[in-house]
Amino acid sequence: MTLAARDITKRFGGLTALSKASLELKPGEVHGLIGPNGSGKTTLLNLLSGYYRPDGGSVTIDATDVSAASVQKRAHLGVARTFQKPRLLPTLSVLDNAMLGGWRDARAGFLSTAFSLPGAGADERELRARAEELLHGVGLSHAIGRRANLLEHAEQRFLEIARGLAQRPRFILLDEPAGGLTPAEIGHLGAVIGVMRQSGIGVLLVEHHTDFVFRISDRVTTLDVGAVIKHGSPDEVRRDPEVIRVYLGA
Amino acid sequence: MKADSRAFALVAVVIALATLPWWAGDLYKLHVAALICAYWVLIGGLNLVVGYSGQLSIGHVGLLAIGAYCFAILAGTHGVHPALAVAAAGGLCALCGFLLGLPSLRLPGFYFAMATLAFALIVSELTLAQGGLTGGGVGLSVPGFPRPFDTPQGSYWLILATAALVTWLTWNVARSTWGRGLVAVRDSVVTAQAVGVPVFRAKLTVFVFSGFTAGVAGALFAVLQSYITPDTFVFDLGLFFFVCIIIGGRGHIVGPAIGTVVLTALPEMVAPLAKLGNFFYGLLLLAVVLLVPEGIGRVFELLIERYRGRRGESHVVKPDLERLARAIEASGAK
Amino acid sequence: MLVALITGLATGALYAAAALTYNVMFSTSKVLSVTTGHISMLGGIFGAWFVSTLGWPIPLALLGSVAVGGAFGLVTDFVAIRRVLARSDEHLWLLSTLALATMVQQAAGLWWGTEPRPFPRLIPQDFSAGMGDQKYWLPILVAILLAVALELFYRRTLYGKLFVAMSEDAFAARARGIPTGRIRAMSYVIAGAMGGLAGFAAGQLTFAYFALGLTLTLNGFIALAVGGLGSNVGALVGGAALGILSAIATYFVGGEYQQTISVGLLMVVLLVRPAGLFGSQSVRPV
Repeated sequence: MTLAARDITKRFGGLTALSKASLELKPGEVHGLIGPNGSGKTTLLNLLSGYYRPDGGSVTIDATDVSAASVQKRAHLGVARTFQKPRLLPTLSVLDNAMLGGWRDARAGFLSTAFSLPGAGADERELRARAEELLHGVGLSHAIGRRANLLEHAEQRFLEIARGLAQRPRFILLDEPAGGLTPAEIGHLGAVIGVMRQSGIGVLLVEHHTDFVFRISDRVTTLDVGAVIKHGSPDEVRRDPEVIRVYLGA
Repeated sequence: MKADSRAFALVAVVIALATLPWWAGDLYKLHVAALICAYWVLIGGLNLVVGYSGQLSIGHVGLLAIGAYCFAILAGTHGVHPALAVAAAGGLCALCGFLLGLPSLRLPGFYFAMATLAFALIVSELTLAQGGLTGGGVGLSVPGFPRPFDTPQGSYWLILATAALVTWLTWNVARSTWGRGLVAVRDSVVTAQAVGVPVFRAKLTVFVFSGFTAGVAGALFAVLQSYITPDTFVFDLGLFFFVCIIIGGRGHIVGPAIGTVVLTALPEMVAPLAKLGNFFYGLLLLAVVLLVPEGIGRVFELLIERYRGRRGESHVVKPDLERLARAIEASGAK
Repeated sequence: MLVALITGLATGALYAAAALTYNVMFSTSKVLSVTTGHISMLGGIFGAWFVSTLGWPIPLALLGSVAVGGAFGLVTDFVAIRRVLARSDEHLWLLSTLALATMVQQAAGLWWGTEPRPFPRLIPQDFSAGMGDQKYWLPILVAILLAVALELFYRRTLYGKLFVAMSEDAFAARARGIPTGRIRAMSYVIAGAMGGLAGFAAGQLTFAYFALGLTLTLNGFIALAVGGLGSNVGALVGGAALGILSAIATYFVGGEYQQTISVGLLMVVLLVRPAGLFGSQSVRPV
């Protein structure tokens, strides 16, 4: 019951972005992924969610090899993600953006949607209710009907999380979710991540705010120049001399 | 209150359109109204392609031509029942849309636009070349609709009803999960993938649908013209369809509908504009792209928003953790 | 048959010139401008007007056509590119250049008339020259000349190197203090001048015809996509291949299927090699 990368190697032209990196994300855990800029964190996240294909190694969900599966296929298998720079649909409302996450649950085909057959309407209502609850939950009650391009940065981040949760994921990959947030908002983010963990969702947290990562993660993986240099509990990683040398500083 | 006023406006528009034959005055105006409706049958479907999924097809006139010729040949030359011929025109154009979209919808935007342009030119080339079938440069005469649609009023109502049906279909799509998925394909392919939208299949599906409506529109259009030649389907017409949508606003239905009405009627009423023709459309398109890229529809939205005043400006995120936990539990991970 | 071939080669040379024009504009702006063919259309029409109506001597008319093309290039950048590139929406440049192209075509039609008009003889020559006629070898010569000049420009001159730097990484170029706006405007002027020259040189082949622009935009693009976006050698090869293929097809099947055949060529090439024959980077839809 895991999302795992095993001995992943990824090259861009002559540059090796990742070499034999491994990472395992279990349900109900918060897994921190840290490392200096250019160490391959986002690359690894893109490999897990399917935007890149590995040059070596494999990505598995449970026991299934999904290394060659599309992003969409992995979404259907329960992998959701957010982006470093939030990617919302600026012309749609906040509610519509969250409802977009329910794509895989809307079973109505194009024609039954066009002819407004009963099944399509029921799916839609259920999805709307779920999205509304999630938006209230992540703290966007005030903005549900607003156009997404009117949101401020923090609101966009939380909306992306709501969209991800609307996918009913088993694993959610957060790409620097605390970037640009105030300390109070980071606190809210931590609480929201805590709720996800309690609900049994596996959370991968790619982050630069190391204090935040060490505070809320169950396990932490550290990357440097494309390789995993340390993996373990927050305390173990924080005290590791190699990690201190390349990343945390003396 | 808001929903009420909307319903009221809708009813008013429907009544006004349905009773048009009694107050339009002369038959020419009725003809123009029927023409607008026939255009809208095509543009309404094309709107899902251009306005929602963001694929810039400038060559839909090719599909219109195929639909028109298919109807004229089946109903005219071979004496097939017109209703059947309309359905055949739609089906054939859906097939053509499929064959055109299959290779070209995988290509980036400009490549796709050029492929549709090429398609329009090819169709026009073939209608000229296949003289035995299409009458070549001389053209074909088109039979009218059977009773009770054989009068100007009757055919207007038939075409109006078709246009209303297309509007309803696209409306249903636009406000559903499908509509959101298409907008995701338009505005952020990466997001669309992340939530599981099969990007290519979604594009192809609406393109085939637009092919069907274009074919039906072609049949209706041919009847209105009563005689068609390759020159009836100049490339400029394809551009016109496209411009109606962009000017009306992508991601809207009412905007492009108004665009279609205004851009068809205006040159009929203001003679100098008819002479300027494409120059006028080009100028409008340029002005919209530079000043209001989201189209005139957005301008109205903004005006309404301003009129209502800005509501609560709060931007404070305050999670409700219990509610969040319940929401996640209730939906349950897969 | 030979005449058909040389006609095809000459037409192909014009397509190649259009493909080169695309390349120059693309290098600095990453925009494929719909106005590309219309530049050459203006070059042809103004050339005919300068010589036949105004009675200018040929060299002056040539300069005039080049200047008109360059001016139109500048207008394209100013009106359709500059403001649009600041926004992130990819589709906008397609719309703005399409709008400008439509306006120019219609304006030319209103002013010049919608019938093709003959283009004057540029060099005293008998009409009995057959395959040696100037209307064939002028466009061929110009296309080769343009390609060679462009290569020299890119390799030997400072501005050419700036173009290359911008085409590789515009952000980095700006960060290093290159005035990217000015370079882009310059590339549009150069592209315009090239298109004007090509339109002038091919005038006797195409006639001075207002609707030439759109066909040339399409066929130039096909030549470009077949040869590979960004490659000047590819532009020449793609143009020649397209021209010759249509000529052969016309010879055997008849002229009615020209467009169908050229698009067929494009589809085959894109299926087999999406980046085109000489293209380096793959076409990425995202």
